[in-house]
Amino acid sequence: MKLIVGYLATPGGADALALGVRLSRTLGAELGVSIILPPDRTVPSLVPVGGYDEHLAEQAEHWLAEARASIPADVVAGTHVSFDDSYADGLIKEAARVQADLIVVGGSGGGLAGSYSLGSVVNELLHSAPVPVAIAPRGSRHWSENRVREVTCAIGERAGADLLLDTAVRFSRAAGTPLRLVSLVALDPMFGTLRGDDDAVRERALAHAEHTLETAKSQLPEDFPVTSTIVDGRTVEEAVSKLRWHDGDVIMVGSSRLSAPKRLFLGSTAAKMLRVLEVPMVVVPRDQFEAGDLP
Amino acid sequence: MSETQEDTGVSSKGLATGKVGTFSGAVLGISSVAPGYTLTASIGVIVAAVGLKMPAILIAGFIPMFLTAYAYRELNSRAPDCGASFTWSTKAFGPYVGWMCGWGMVIATIIVLSNLAAVAVEFLYLFIARVVNNPSIADLAGNKAINIATTLVLIAIATLIASRGITTSERVQYVLVGFQMTVLIAFAVTAFVIVGRGDAPAGLSFDFDWFDPFTGLTLSAFAIGLTGSIFAFWGWDTCLTLGEESKDPTRVPGRAGLLCVLSILATYLLVAVAVMMYAGVGVEGLGLGNEENAENVFGALADPVLGWAGPLLFLAVLASSVASLQTTFLPAARAMLAMGAYGAFPAKFASVSPRFLVPSYATMIAGVVTGVFYTVVSLLSENVLWDTIAALGIMICWYYGITAFACVWYFRKELFSNVHNIVFKFLFPLLGGLMLASVFVIAVGESMDPENGSGASIGGVGLVFYLGFGILALGAALMTIWRFRSPEFFEGRTLSDVPS
Repeated sequence: MKLIVGYLATPGGADALALGVRLSRTLGAELGVSIILPPDRTVPSLVPVGGYDEHLAEQAEHWLAEARASIPADVVAGTHVSFDDSYADGLIKEAARVQADLIVVGGSGGGLAGSYSLGSVVNELLHSAPVPVAIAPRGSRHWSENRVREVTCAIGERAGADLLLDTAVRFSRAAGTPLRLVSLVALDPMFGTLRGDDDAVRERALAHAEHTLETAKSQLPEDFPVTSTIVDGRTVEEAVSKLRWHDGDVIMVGSSRLSAPKRLFLGSTAAKMLRVLEVPMVVVPRDQFEAGDLP
Repeated sequence: MSETQEDTGVSSKGLATGKVGTFSGAVLGISSVAPGYTLTASIGVIVAAVGLKMPAILIAGFIPMFLTAYAYRELNSRAPDCGASFTWSTKAFGPYVGWMCGWGMVIATIIVLSNLAAVAVEFLYLFIARVVNNPSIADLAGNKAINIATTLVLIAIATLIASRGITTSERVQYVLVGFQMTVLIAFAVTAFVIVGRGDAPAGLSFDFDWFDPFTGLTLSAFAIGLTGSIFAFWGWDTCLTLGEESKDPTRVPGRAGLLCVLSILATYLLVAVAVMMYAGVGVEGLGLGNEENAENVFGALADPVLGWAGPLLFLAVLASSVASLQTTFLPAARAMLAMGAYGAFPAKFASVSPRFLVPSYATMIAGVVTGVFYTVVSLLSENVLWDTIAALGIMICWYYGITAFACVWYFRKELFSNVHNIVFKFLFPLLGGLMLASVFVIAVGESMDPENGSGASIGGVGLVFYLGFGILALGAALMTIWRFRSPEFFEGRTLSDVPS
């Protein structure tokens, strides 16, 4: 297994690196730390070119050397600098080049709204990456626990979560951690719902969630350590904040059904969860990509 | 920890090659010159020095800039470096000349940044005043406190945007160039039509003598006019340095450069002749010699000539100067970064922002110095724009001139090996350098007399002298201090002198 961290020498980058180290260690995966630089171009102005790319690359190598020095010795790590007009595209290409199984990024430092405030790069990745993307919440760099403790998998209401479940199982097995299946029930009144008996609506939703969870569980191997929980609330945010979290937890969510085939698209539920969660989130594409799908 | 060797390598730059053709190259060059902004800023300065000889001076200023651009091209193709003039002149003439050349380059970009911001502010108020139909708003630009405050705000915004690595896209540049050129040509044609109808305030008839620099001009007037005209052609050499991005690197840059510079020259001459025939060079009313209008010719002439379409000209100049303000931060920061990287400036100048991956520190410094420079000059002079353009001309002569000579010296061993080298590495740069050097010497001498500039003076000596020669002297002092504090660069340990 291979992980690739989209790094910047910023607090957000340090968060990503910390999550990368934690995941690599748990999964026994190789860690690639990557910086994508903007290539110098003949922009329409009096800019002299030549040597600037090299200067930038030298600086990037320096940052990467510092990052490497902070990686514990038990994690196999390499570094790489590449140039691309878009950080997200460059990272996807780099992931394809090394055939990484997962891209790790920081949820952008310095946001005002909660732990994740998506920078444009992360946002772009979450809407186009062909492999799972893990987002480190702000402050991950201060973690003391350095292994994954438990994987939580948020099962949606509808079919299409198969690859998500597979990935979660594969992940838990590789990591040797238990799996927790969660079904979120948001009871927020929507247009088109009759303002009927609240309890009946709730009952129906819970029964549906129960059914989904049971179906998911039945697909798992016999002896797999799994627990399941249903949480409800008026909104997704309220429901998800009822979950108990421990240091070392990771949540996995599926990509939206709106995504292009074999690409990520952060769905609205996942986006809402991102806003309130303080654990790393892994967003998994809808279906498995093959070698030909990579750039 | 393990590591494979290829994992630490630097991947290809991923440049989109084969994109820029002759026409788009020329457009990029034109946008670097920003003709709308340049014309409004320099016409007054040129007319004040040479009156009706403006077309002749425009052509005379074009020649040394044209010749020197080839020195740039030759040096850039042999030793491409983001330090450009600084690096080349250090390689040719050693660290002291190189440092002073780099200083001239940095100061030139600082001065042009302050001038761009000031012109933008002027036209911002003019435009708002016209759009809301309230002429008193246009006068706000003349209120020193409001003017300085607005300019500083504009510089701060531009610095912030530039230090985050955000630049104007090529598409925006194309649109701006198209808009500018259309409005400028419409302006010139309308002026001709009005003159033809006999309704123009001056209504001069065309005279070929306007194009003859050898009659009725004193050497000093000639040199002062040239500083304005040299400024007007600053920047078009960008398209000569288009290398790997062009469709055919051997042909496209040369053709794009020629197309660009000829269209600029033609536009300048057209507009210059048009405004002279329309308004004359008198010192009264709309006359170009009127000091009230000298630093902002389009501000005064847009409405009389274009009528209801006047604000379009304001908008064209405003957009052109704001876009240039944005893009000019790049070379300013780039020059300081190069000097920092080679140890000629403190190393901090070479630092790259870990978040935005651009030289944010150098950009910030450029912004701060520009703001300080503008504030000081504003307080010292009634005609900031005029004085800064004159000083800018001197600074360009200085560092372009050194670069031209650097080309000759750098290639000294191969100058006569073939016809190409004789023309482009020897004759063109040498002639260009000699012309720029003469203009520099005469213009610095003349700038001591306040009457040759806007009239601003300190202790009886013209302000332009302090802004031009004084800042170079300040540079020499700073260089000496830096020489003793950090001698690596001056001992040739960071940038070696090996002409290849």
